[in-house]
Amino acid sequence: MVPVSDSTAAVGDSARTGGVADADERSAVSRSSQVLRQLNRNSASRVGLYVIGLVTLVALLTTIDADLFDYQFAATFWYHPENDPAGSTILLPPVGIENSFGTGSWAHPLGTDHRGRDILVRLVYGTRIAVQVGLIATGIGMTIGTVVGAVSGYYGGWVDDVLQRFVESLYAIPFLILVIAIMSAFGRELGIAIVGVSITTIPVFTRLIRSQVLSVREMEYVEAAKAAGVRDRHIIFRHIIPNSFAPVLVQSTLQVGVNILIVASLSFLGFGVQPPTPSWGQMLAHSRQYMIVNPWFSIWPGLAILATVIGFNLLGDGLRDAIDPRSND
Amino acid sequence: MTTTGYIGRRLLQIVPVMLFVVTVTFVLINSIPGDPVRILVGPAADAAAIEAARAKYGLDQPLYVRYVRYLAAVATGDFGTSIHYGGVAVTEKIFERLPVTLLLLASSFTLAIGTAIPLGIFAAKNRNNGYDHLARVTSLIGVSTPSFWVGLLLIIVFAYYGDLLPPSGLIMPWADPASVDGATSRLDVLVTAASHLILPSITLGTLQMAAITRIERSSMLEVLNKDYVQLARAYGVSERTILRRQAFKNAQLPVLTVIGIQMTTALGGAVLTETVFNINGMGNLIITAVRAQDYQLIMGTTIFFAIVFVLGVLVVDVLYAVIDPRISYGGGSGE
Repeated sequence: MVPVSDSTAAVGDSARTGGVADADERSAVSRSSQVLRQLNRNSASRVGLYVIGLVTLVALLTTIDADLFDYQFAATFWYHPENDPAGSTILLPPVGIENSFGTGSWAHPLGTDHRGRDILVRLVYGTRIAVQVGLIATGIGMTIGTVVGAVSGYYGGWVDDVLQRFVESLYAIPFLILVIAIMSAFGRELGIAIVGVSITTIPVFTRLIRSQVLSVREMEYVEAAKAAGVRDRHIIFRHIIPNSFAPVLVQSTLQVGVNILIVASLSFLGFGVQPPTPSWGQMLAHSRQYMIVNPWFSIWPGLAILATVIGFNLLGDGLRDAIDPRSND
Repeated sequence: MTTTGYIGRRLLQIVPVMLFVVTVTFVLINSIPGDPVRILVGPAADAAAIEAARAKYGLDQPLYVRYVRYLAAVATGDFGTSIHYGGVAVTEKIFERLPVTLLLLASSFTLAIGTAIPLGIFAAKNRNNGYDHLARVTSLIGVSTPSFWVGLLLIIVFAYYGDLLPPSGLIMPWADPASVDGATSRLDVLVTAASHLILPSITLGTLQMAAITRIERSSMLEVLNKDYVQLARAYGVSERTILRRQAFKNAQLPVLTVIGIQMTTALGGAVLTETVFNINGMGNLIITAVRAQDYQLIMGTTIFFAIVFVLGVLVVDVLYAVIDPRISYGGGSGE
């Protein structure tokens, strides 16, 4: 299992640093430095890296030091609106804009929500859920999906048949419904959300890897390894999976964006992590009732989601261009 | 293998897939904590009433008995009855809501495909100039935006500030004029139906439009760089003819794949769109079912979605084979 967990770490790292870390082969090293150079030249993927870096940094800082900003004020008053601190105003607009509740000030740069909580502070704490689920769920789904896909494609026959039917059935249940069912059954907590989203991620990588394996399987060096009596497990983990690494890396980066959208959708429907823990989707759900009086409440969390997901998409597109210069997408 | 043989084999493969789906759904749904019967009879009911209700819905049996019974029932098309809707058959409820969701899906896909394909071709034709960049940025934003947020913004702009379009609900174009507010003729109904359909269709269609634009553009670019297209250019064939005659058809296979994938994600997207616009379709039905812990209804709608999905994939694969005669029916499962 070692090479697989290595590659997970590499994806986690690359999401932060943009590096394509790969196995000990010399050609792979020079190739990854080439990819890095390509990435750096592409201004769009640099923007993507900056966005991802910023969001991940915010998520890390607020996880390490939960009281970096006034977390109490951001989260706790949900169940006791009557406890709102003196002087707090609900549904304030951003700085310099006026609505029926007052004029926005620098005390709450993006305004306040229906409980008088600072929208910016809640957005900052909301990054934790998005980034944690986005990165961890993608990592887990990618690891399992890669192994299942590699085994399925390498062995073929009935193993392939059974695994493929199972993966198809995971595909067949709409992913939102699947995650909602999992969270209803096992609890609306962060850990369960991560597991649920990982499960919906598995089929994406199984398909990708399986088609890669079907072509790699016939390569001469795999035939040679087989003929030399190398064990199957070794062939799968040492040769087949590392050789399919590039498309997996691209897909994982894009998938983080998709998974952040899924988490936000879950929270929006009320099946995500429960209040008072702040999350972007839940903020959007709450804002629905106040769209007329303070539309800004609906605008900011959406922008946060949009910016984060664009970051991962820009990086993913950039990686694909760098790895396969012929692609035009 | 012949086309019919291929379709037959694929239909057979559906059986194990659906067996997995039913099992996964059954296990998950029955792991939900809480007692649907208590929710149904209310807190005031006595023990006898609870037991009677439990027996009525077969919930007094052990889990494996219920599983086998459910499997047998589903195989004959019986999805049980809905507790939340007072014993109405699940299938009846599904077919009551289905047209609403189908209308929404059809209109959003018409919108998405109708704008994405010309936009993608146009972008490919004008590679790397202003139009291309605009198309690329638009589609990047489209695939990165949460659809329900698009819905909220549309409601703010067009329903509340603009007061141009209704913020919620959906009216079927074939509804009886007497049942529609302020409508006196068939035409009124059509206009009202269309005005209700615009915002939800944009909401649901944004992602599809963006994804299809991206694949159409890159697929066209790839074909336009092929040797035979270069050759045609060298012979002086006009760009217009090249686009129409050679490039377009050959570029559509990957596009078809993406449209197929989008159709499946659109089913999930319908849940969000129907929530934002308070539309009583399948998506709303499934959310209601989960909130009410209506086991039979959750399982029925999920399995129904899965059947639609599996058949949809089959249709796309067969279409694939029709469009591209090089694809043989022999190899793997549709790859």
